[in-house]
Amino acid sequence: MSDNLLKEDEIIIRNYRTSDYEATLEILKQLDKEFDIGFKEEQWKQSSGLRQFKPNLKRITLIAELKSTGEVVSMGMLEAVKNSLGQYVGYLDNWSTKKDYVGKGVGKILADRAIQILKSWGCTSVRINMGYNVSKKLIDVICKGQGFTPVFIVLEKKFDEK
Amino acid sequence: MVDLFNSKSLEKALKEEICVVYILYFDEAKGHVPLLIFPFEEGSKLKDNKRFMRPIKYHPVWFLSIEEQEPLDHIDLEFKGYTFFGKKFLTKSKRKKRRAGLKEESPEIIVVIASVSNDIAIFGDELIHLITEEIKEKFDDKLFKIIECEIAKDEIIKTPEIKKIINEGMKIKKDLNNMIDKITENYFHNTIKQKDTDLMNQQKALSYLALKGIDVSAIGDIKKTDFFLNNIKLFDPSTKAANELALKTPFIITNVSIIEDSQELEITVQNNTGKEIKDVIINITHLKEFFEKEIMEQDIDLWFPEEELLFISPIIPNINDYLFFITKKENKEKIFKKLINLKSLKSLKN
Repeated sequence: MSDNLLKEDEIIIRNYRTSDYEATLEILKQLDKEFDIGFKEEQWKQSSGLRQFKPNLKRITLIAELKSTGEVVSMGMLEAVKNSLGQYVGYLDNWSTKKDYVGKGVGKILADRAIQILKSWGCTSVRINMGYNVSKKLIDVICKGQGFTPVFIVLEKKFDEK
Repeated sequence: MVDLFNSKSLEKALKEEICVVYILYFDEAKGHVPLLIFPFEEGSKLKDNKRFMRPIKYHPVWFLSIEEQEPLDHIDLEFKGYTFFGKKFLTKSKRKKRRAGLKEESPEIIVVIASVSNDIAIFGDELIHLITEEIKEKFDDKLFKIIECEIAKDEIIKTPEIKKIINEGMKIKKDLNNMIDKITENYFHNTIKQKDTDLMNQQKALSYLALKGIDVSAIGDIKKTDFFLNNIKLFDPSTKAANELALKTPFIITNVSIIEDSQELEITVQNNTGKEIKDVIINITHLKEFFEKEIMEQDIDLWFPEEELLFISPIIPNINDYLFFITKKENKEKIFKKLINLKSLKSLKN
């Protein structure tokens, strides 16, 4: 298994560029198919992944690219949101890796970088919303590997668009 | 009527049409007194022409203090097809004041107003800034002599001492006039390096200048030829002016869109300097009447070359004008500013 792992120096972690649009679109579609994240293609624009600044919110889409081929293999969004107590809380959203690269440690490299960034932004904590039906194994990997603890359960009600 | 066969009078007429610069001071008894009106000659009766001077005398710049004016950089007035860009500053004075509480050395209020046709109003921001900075740098300790000269001119009996004051003031006034001439000439000929030429306002302004006989191809390619009498070369395909312009723009607004559902304004800006930009502040403000209110302030520690950043600001009901600024954190110098008008944005999209 460890033979399959990609090394850190084989991957470039960088900010999203508009030229990554097609690659990220493909990854997000794949993620939506698996977890029904409510992704709508028409709402994911070329500019959607750019570093984004809004009152009380900062967002970056990180891209993991293979150094050898330039292929985008993984992506994840991180955002810092100012809560009602005036503290910035970091969130990791839409974390996804192309099927062929799952299990190769790309997600971990990406998450390590994201946590560093959120820390540098002054976030007091980092949260990840995960699918309710996600495997316990994945939760254990994140908790043990990255030092997360399960704290909340998020309940969601979808509105009928009609 | 302009003599078409006399290049000097034609040049002067074009100068008058493109830009007029007024320098005035405030006298407690007389009100707003013009010291110089460029490019009009000394002795021109225009300063006594009520109709001509109306937008100058009622310009909002007079009603704001220096501190109130500071965040806006300059105050504009649109009147009968022209935009009057006004800037106010204080300078040394030796004039005996006619209001209680003011001393001889109380500083003099100087107002600089540059009027340009609305068609080229896009160039006014930088022009008024340039003119004011040059006046402050080169004439800050001399302007009081021009004021003394203007007061001395009103004396009925011109003693040798008064004549000396007048002569000295007139000499400084001539130097000031020449400096403004040089700045405006240089500005319209060489300095305009606005790069997003695809913007409608910019195209409109360049077309206007071209129509007036100004060689706008010089915007990308500096040519030391006669300022006002060049051929129009804007659409000459052999020149690469557009590309050169793009390289010279430090920042480009690549997209502005209105998100109707959430009532938000999305502004995408690209760092076009070719290098990393460190420690800048982004401000988005809106204008209501003459006053500016901040909607968003954002620190950017590092901005990569060619990187586009997306700024999302809420849209305030009934507010159409939004100002976008990039300021250096270190010295608060404004390095980029753009006015975004929602009405024109909506009409462009339609």
